[in-house]
Amino acid sequence: MSDRADLLQGTLDLLILKTLLFGPLHGWGISKRLRQLSGDVLDVGQGSLYPALYRIEERGWVSAEWGTSPEGRRAKFYALTALGRRQFAAERAEWRVFATAVDQVLEAT
Amino acid sequence: MRDSLALRARRLARRVAWRLRALVRRDALDREVREEFQLHVDLEAEDLARTRGMTPAEARRRARVAFGGMDRFEEEHRDARGMRWVDDLASDARYAVRALRRTPGFTLSSIVILALGIGATTAVFGGVNAVLIARLPYAHDEQLVRIYEQDAPTRRWSLSIADLLAVESDHHTFSAVGGVRRRVAPVAAAGDPQSRPIAAATSGFFRALGTRAAAGRLMDASDDRVGAPPVVVLSDAFATQAYGSAAAALGRSVLIDGHGFTVIGVLPVGVQQLAAVRADVWPALQPAQPSRRGPFGILAVGRLADGVSADAAQRNLAALSARIFPIWQAGFQDSAAKLTPVSLRRSIIGDGASTMGILAGGVGLVLLIAIANVASLMLVRATGRRRELSLRTVLGATRARLVRLLVTESLVLTMVGAAAGVVVGVAGLSLLRAVGPYVPRLAEARLDGRAMAFAVAVAMVSGIVVGAYPVLSLFHAGQADAAGGGRTVGGGRRVHAVRSAFVAAQFALALPLLAGAGLLMTTFLRLQHVDPGFEPDHLVTLDVALPSAGYANDAAIASYWRRASARISAIPGVGGAAISTAMSPNDEGNNENNFDLVDRPVDAGTAQPTSPWPSVTNEYFATMGVRLIEGRLFEPTDTGAAPVVVVSRAWADHYYPGQDAVGRQLISGGCTSCPHTTVVGVVADVKYSGLRGSGDAVYSPATEGWFRTMHVFVRTSATSDGQLRTIRDELQAVDRSASLSTPAVMTETVYEDVAQPRHLMTLLGLFAAAALGLAAVGIFGMLSYTVAARRQEIGVRMALGARAGMVVGMIVRRGMAYAAMGAGVGLVVAAAGARLLAGQLYGVTAADPATLAEVTALLLAVALAACWLPARRAAQVDPARAIRTE
Repeated sequence: MSDRADLLQGTLDLLILKTLLFGPLHGWGISKRLRQLSGDVLDVGQGSLYPALYRIEERGWVSAEWGTSPEGRRAKFYALTALGRRQFAAERAEWRVFATAVDQVLEAT
Repeated sequence: MRDSLALRARRLARRVAWRLRALVRRDALDREVREEFQLHVDLEAEDLARTRGMTPAEARRRARVAFGGMDRFEEEHRDARGMRWVDDLASDARYAVRALRRTPGFTLSSIVILALGIGATTAVFGGVNAVLIARLPYAHDEQLVRIYEQDAPTRRWSLSIADLLAVESDHHTFSAVGGVRRRVAPVAAAGDPQSRPIAAATSGFFRALGTRAAAGRLMDASDDRVGAPPVVVLSDAFATQAYGSAAAALGRSVLIDGHGFTVIGVLPVGVQQLAAVRADVWPALQPAQPSRRGPFGILAVGRLADGVSADAAQRNLAALSARIFPIWQAGFQDSAAKLTPVSLRRSIIGDGASTMGILAGGVGLVLLIAIANVASLMLVRATGRRRELSLRTVLGATRARLVRLLVTESLVLTMVGAAAGVVVGVAGLSLLRAVGPYVPRLAEARLDGRAMAFAVAVAMVSGIVVGAYPVLSLFHAGQADAAGGGRTVGGGRRVHAVRSAFVAAQFALALPLLAGAGLLMTTFLRLQHVDPGFEPDHLVTLDVALPSAGYANDAAIASYWRRASARISAIPGVGGAAISTAMSPNDEGNNENNFDLVDRPVDAGTAQPTSPWPSVTNEYFATMGVRLIEGRLFEPTDTGAAPVVVVSRAWADHYYPGQDAVGRQLISGGCTSCPHTTVVGVVADVKYSGLRGSGDAVYSPATEGWFRTMHVFVRTSATSDGQLRTIRDELQAVDRSASLSTPAVMTETVYEDVAQPRHLMTLLGLFAAAALGLAAVGIFGMLSYTVAARRQEIGVRMALGARAGMVVGMIVRRGMAYAAMGAGVGLVVAAAGARLLAGQLYGVTAADPATLAEVTALLLAVALAACWLPARRAAQVDPARAIRTE
């Protein structure tokens, strides 16, 4: 896999973790929340969302549990674990460094 | 990120657990993923309908399009779970099944051959497992021994009362020891008495084996004392049949020999034999202090005390033998006879080990031939597929991937073969139990988990062997003949050489089987021509046992027989009736007696000779048709004051070769104080030690001492069921308290004696036929292939003037060269392996040149037929057409 893909993947992970900061959500809820928070700019494809969810569950950042959705359907809810919280803090810090750096480069005159 | 080692380890552990869970719960996880995706699409659709005002149907369609193909995501999802290889395996297997289906002829024949090979092997393994591997059904069976008297490496016999009492008094060696004496006696539980095998046992016998009663109790030491109230233990089957249940039997009285025995206990359900002694009725054996060393009829079983080795037990018993020898020296002079412990397991299995060894060897050869056969088929298939595999390589398949494909394919093949083989094995094992030779414990054989594991292991090994060459050839082939190999259908020299080796090997393996079957067949034929010494066709036999209650003395038994013989002789068609204590052709040593020649006694301290020693009425000789050769038969005056015997011609030739036997004197049974026994006549031989045995026999007149159990022989012109029933009814009418067996025609008894070689011959014959058939198919296949591959060459030769005969000769010569090569190697193997069979043969040596020549000729004849068919096809090649297809 190329570095670019890694970067994007890492970013998606960060965004997913962020949506879960406010509480457990199911898959569609995460994609909906992402759209809302980004003002419909970020529409994560399901083909990326679910594998990413699975990956970070495997890493132990989120835990998944079956429950009942607000719509009254059986749904798999993802919740942030303590490890996930620490990971989010670390990745957010990294992102800030990265974004600032990119910004500096782009704004340089 | 720099993680601590512990953290990393924890993470790794979690991942491994995760992957394992993913693998184990694969189906459940797939379902969950599908459900999760479905929910996503549903919610998206509802959202679209709500926010964009779409119709539900339109919203669903859009949601689905946005999500894309569900299968694809599931696939990716699974990839994320690290399950790729499982799917690959499944797809390899699917591919293998597809590939095998494309060649149904090859697949079916391979599976059938493997199923037969693996099935037969599994069946025999089931037998070997039960007979040789499985433990006896007693706790710590390694501590159990049977104790024999033994005076030479191959000569051992049962104990006497004197021996048993001596062993019981030796407390250092055994934690428990006891004896059992078998006999047939009239038993009446509820109803008429019936002759049954009974086994009188001491309490120590049950203690040694660790047997417990299912109801009531077994004997204890107080029951062993002479004069203790007579008690009996019954099998569950007998108790249930006679009294309805085990509990109901307790306290009842069973009549044995007309004497009452109180039932104190019932054995557990299913226990029909103990230490290989089969009986339903187990009265207490109360060994009284004997007056002499013999007779020897007690099967003694001991449990070695904790920490006592078999060697130590052997030393203790040898010392014990030396201590008791002087006590009985007057009547028993064989100082070489030692009490000897033999592992109970080994003593039960006995000759069974060699029989099972022969079967295992035979079936192993069949399996090897089957594998060679399929391997050779696989080879042809592999050469035919070289182009396909080359193409795959060009298209980017790695070599590892191709190896995996080929290995999966041969494993699928052998596993299907093994599955079919297990079915064959189940059938084969029942066949083995039904028609196989008698082997102790074989009846208990089942195809259990161990046998299944064996079948799977055999299949794995077969799969590897069968698939080895195609895989190896991948590495040899290289890229040279990648996309080209159309013309070299024969597959090059190397493949041809390997294939020829397989064909020759099949013949080499088949020959020992044929030789074994041939030797057993010769044995069987020779045995069938052995004269038992009487004409069995119109001779009927049945057993009579008189209860000791009404027949306490000789006069009573003699009077019974006078009345019985008169009644039987009055039946129309009956030519005569007689009694004997011995059964021919195999009395199984029941009437064996030792003796010493007065004019030529054995050296002091050495064993006396023994001989079958039937006690017969004078009519016996006429009824059986045994000719008087010299001297006289018995007379009414022979009542024991001056004991007389009539000997067989074989006995006379054995002890007085070229001399007169009549008038010689013997000391019978080691009784030095008894009057000498005089030989008064010599008669023709009758077999009592089996058809293979000698014709030695010494007959005593019944008038010197009557026995309450006897074999009755009736010469009759008719042997219909009606006649047999009449004979039994007439005997029954003499005294209802006598117990009678079902009458049988002697032809059956004689036939029974050749059962063992017949059964073994049948099985080895089956194996040999299968082996020969497979080898023939193998050579036929190879030559057919050669002919097809060399069509053009043959066409050219014929166009250039080769006649059909020359072509046939060329092909046949080539095939026969391999067959002959195989047969040559096979002869060497057969000669080396024939010794295994030696113990089973009669009238033929294990390396009998005539038999070996015959089976070699048979093998080559079959090979010739198998070669001739493809050769014929070669000769029919039309030169013009063959060359045109070039």
